[in-house]
Amino acid sequence: MNQLSRRVPLVDGVAKLTGALRFTADLHIDGLLHGALVLSTHPHARVVRIDTAAALAIEGVHEVFWHGNTPSHHYNSSIWFSGQKALADEQMFPQIVRHVGDRVAAVVADTEEIARHAARLIEVDYLDLPAIFDPEVALGHAGLPLRDDDTPTFLNPVAGETFVYGDLEAGFAAADLIVETRVTTPRSHHCAVETHACIARPEPDGRILILSPCQSVFAVQAVVGQALGLAPEKIRVQKTPIGGSFGGKAEPILDPLCAFFALQLRRPVIIRFDRHETFTATRTRSSVTGWMRTGFGVDGRILARETYALVDIGAYCTGGNYLPSSMLQRLVRLYDVPAERYSGRAVYTNTVPAGAFRGYGSPQIHTIAEISLDIAARRMGMDPVALRQRNLVGPGAIEPWQGLDLGNARGRECLARGAEAFGWAGRYQKGVGRGRWRRGVGVASATHINGCYPGFHEETTASLRLLPNGRAELVCALHDLGCGADTTLSQIAAETLGLRACDIVIVPADTDTCPYDLGTRASRMTYICGEAIRRAGVALAKSIRAAAGLELNTPADDLCLEAGTVRCRDDAGITLTDLAARLDSRGVELPTATESYRAQANPGSYAAHFAEVEVDRLTGRVKVTDYVAAHDVGWAINPMLVEGQIHGGIQIGIGYALYEDVAIDRATGRMRGDSFSRYTLANAPEMPPIRVLLVEEGEPTGPFGAKAVGEIATIPVAAAVVNAVNNALGTELTELPLSPERVVAAIG
Amino acid sequence: MDGLSVTAPAHMAELRALFAATEGPMNFIAGGTDMLIAGRLLPAGGLLIDLSRIAGMASISTDGGDIRIGGATTVASIAADRGLAARLHALAEAAAQCGCVQVRNRATIGGNIANAAPAADLVPVLVAAEARLECIGRDGASFELAICDYTPDHGYLIAQVILSTNGLLPNSAFVKLGPRQDLSISRLNIALLAEFRDGHFGAVRIAAGALGPHPLRLPLAEVALAGKDLCSATLRDFLSALTAEVDAAIPGRSSQAYKRRAITGLGLDLVAQALGRSPRERLFEDAAR
Repeated sequence: MNQLSRRVPLVDGVAKLTGALRFTADLHIDGLLHGALVLSTHPHARVVRIDTAAALAIEGVHEVFWHGNTPSHHYNSSIWFSGQKALADEQMFPQIVRHVGDRVAAVVADTEEIARHAARLIEVDYLDLPAIFDPEVALGHAGLPLRDDDTPTFLNPVAGETFVYGDLEAGFAAADLIVETRVTTPRSHHCAVETHACIARPEPDGRILILSPCQSVFAVQAVVGQALGLAPEKIRVQKTPIGGSFGGKAEPILDPLCAFFALQLRRPVIIRFDRHETFTATRTRSSVTGWMRTGFGVDGRILARETYALVDIGAYCTGGNYLPSSMLQRLVRLYDVPAERYSGRAVYTNTVPAGAFRGYGSPQIHTIAEISLDIAARRMGMDPVALRQRNLVGPGAIEPWQGLDLGNARGRECLARGAEAFGWAGRYQKGVGRGRWRRGVGVASATHINGCYPGFHEETTASLRLLPNGRAELVCALHDLGCGADTTLSQIAAETLGLRACDIVIVPADTDTCPYDLGTRASRMTYICGEAIRRAGVALAKSIRAAAGLELNTPADDLCLEAGTVRCRDDAGITLTDLAARLDSRGVELPTATESYRAQANPGSYAAHFAEVEVDRLTGRVKVTDYVAAHDVGWAINPMLVEGQIHGGIQIGIGYALYEDVAIDRATGRMRGDSFSRYTLANAPEMPPIRVLLVEEGEPTGPFGAKAVGEIATIPVAAAVVNAVNNALGTELTELPLSPERVVAAIG
Repeated sequence: MDGLSVTAPAHMAELRALFAATEGPMNFIAGGTDMLIAGRLLPAGGLLIDLSRIAGMASISTDGGDIRIGGATTVASIAADRGLAARLHALAEAAAQCGCVQVRNRATIGGNIANAAPAADLVPVLVAAEARLECIGRDGASFELAICDYTPDHGYLIAQVILSTNGLLPNSAFVKLGPRQDLSISRLNIALLAEFRDGHFGAVRIAAGALGPHPLRLPLAEVALAGKDLCSATLRDFLSALTAEVDAAIPGRSSQAYKRRAITGLGLDLVAQALGRSPRERLFEDAAR
């Protein structure tokens, strides 16, 4: 029992450092062909002519694919199981392109160089159609999103969510102060080091094998099946090592194309995007404009709140229809608001589609709400920490939308401990300073979910098996995105079995060999998969003790598993390797255990972040100079990886606050931030000193008390930074990112 | 898809012979940090000459009179050269702020000039220092020209950058404004060379990048400092002059409103750095009000 709370290094760390780990683009596959895409240069247009002759004439070109010779099935790239009902509006190669970067054609050739060269020779004639880039204008393009025959209309809104709770009118009538704000969040991009890539290989039995750095092999199977009109059993998907995702690889984008090309040409095919393609032809975080009206009592208590959120989901639905409800789900978990009205609308625009991105609506809605709350605090003359403390939910709170128990919610402790560590009371200033450089401090609270419960399929199955070498094999369709999930989950398994994390052999996710799992999303890996693994581990330990009891002629209850050995009370025992050998010699199958876990709760993870900034009033430059992040994680299985997640989340959040925006040109629909020279991330020099505080009060429903940290780590950051800037300058900046131009313009 | 041949001469004589023998298009590559980035096409044909192996072309000479810097000298070498920093701090500072560590290790001074980016970081310093370039023409012969007269794409090779002793002034500085601290393309950069003694400016030369297609001398700003005492009033005049320079350089541009304010911050940083002082001193704070 020594694997918990330990700073175990990544189980695949050495393989990554030494280059032994092979990413998709590094794999050697005999006979591999290479695909290159032609992407639309028009934001909305009918493709009236494609001349492929010049491309086909190039030696080494095998085929050119376009809408005339590929399936036209509509599909939705965000579905996660076969047969899932979702607004299907995407096609492999649409005849009407809907954003700059939409797919027009593809060349498959002997080499990537030939394919890209030939792709440049394809002539495309477009007939331009009216394009909409502004989500508020998009609302006017109104109608039902589907016709009676389920074909898409691309009319708005795509989806909406409305929620009313309590007596709103009475709440506002009793309010001493009503604050109205409008906050806009930018389109940001995932910027994973590994660009998108996929390999598909036709198998001798007529099936197709897809090798994909994905977040769910079953989602890939479902999407490819829908796009190609193939039964799921015809598609086998294996997860390959992934060079970062952050949600960017949650939706299969290249996989349907690769699979179709490979089946048609009867050769394996790889497509790998370059950086520009990954920016313009994959997914971004949706931008959201939020209007918030909040009524406060004289003591700072929130009496009523009204929110309207307009979500720009871009050219295709993907999972964007869930965003209005996802944002609501996160919004109502943080503060105890007696009267609430929420309305969210998702609209199409002729811009790159939005998709999953770390937090899935949470960063947007909490940024809107937390900036609004700070503006209210300033107008009330109230300390922002005190205002939050007055309204935060506590343990056992029930959120009003779905009626879910929020579990051991420790947002108040995060706020109190964080404020103390930061020295908030001594640093918060109500007035602004003097001089060119102004310092300010900001705070933001946040919450996030733990899995998809009560949504369907929030369950998983884990199998653990004793191996002949005394280690244990884990099968659970796991998708580590580089954040250390495999390590954390190995620690959980190892803890139950008296092993070390490195003794757990994880079978890569594979639709043929693993039971169904939703994949890595919704902050569910530790909380959901971890609990299934813990239960499987407990069951396997019981089986091992039973088997060892027979070997040692000792009651199983007198045995424990420790350091790779089954020990008796008198310290005698048998190593797992010897036990396996004895069982094997007698033809007895090695102990195995399989446990399915269906979630029964969805507690909240909580956090409070504190930032100090220095703003140069002349240049508008903002430097984050100090940072404290306090997180309610239930219990940290691996504090080092938890801290790593939080550090990474802060990096993304600082970018979200200050730098990141793909910046769609409202006149042309082109993306201005379509490369790393034009899209600014926070790099190491921009990172402040960070102190992480972990509030470990234990979540009764989580494995060993653990809750999620992956997504929440980035959720409060932008608001904390923006609030600090507003504190420094006495401004009410609400349009993100806070570029130097915006800062200077606000100062006047 | 072919037609481009690459050669890497080892000596200057070999390079000159190539000039004489080559009739078709010639292009040069040294660090490759501009030519080899994704999205930029390589020359389709002709001869691509790799300058990085030519003996003596990556060197810095600061002893004695003029400073001489070989065209293939890396930006990192310039940033690290103590002799150069002692005589022209601004150039070392500009080199230290150019790109990132990896870029600085490959990029060269000749490439920074020849690429002719409006925001090139070394060039404002060279313009303010009235640098001369020793170039090799298509006939293989050497000739000199002022950096202000250099135009890219004429087939000249920049063999050496010459900083005449007469062009150097005792105090110098370089500051830039980019979207972040490191690995950023300048939205504004300014270099200053000045005489300063007993609280009094003598000669002053200032040049700025990213205010037009090429780095510009800022005559109004020079006049505002030259011959003046260092005081709040002088600095305020200087800031007004910088604002006027922006208004003259980019009238009506969407960036004008921002840059005319931001340049005042950079201007104060510039003077403070040149004089070895902090822009947070009261003198500079007062000027900023």
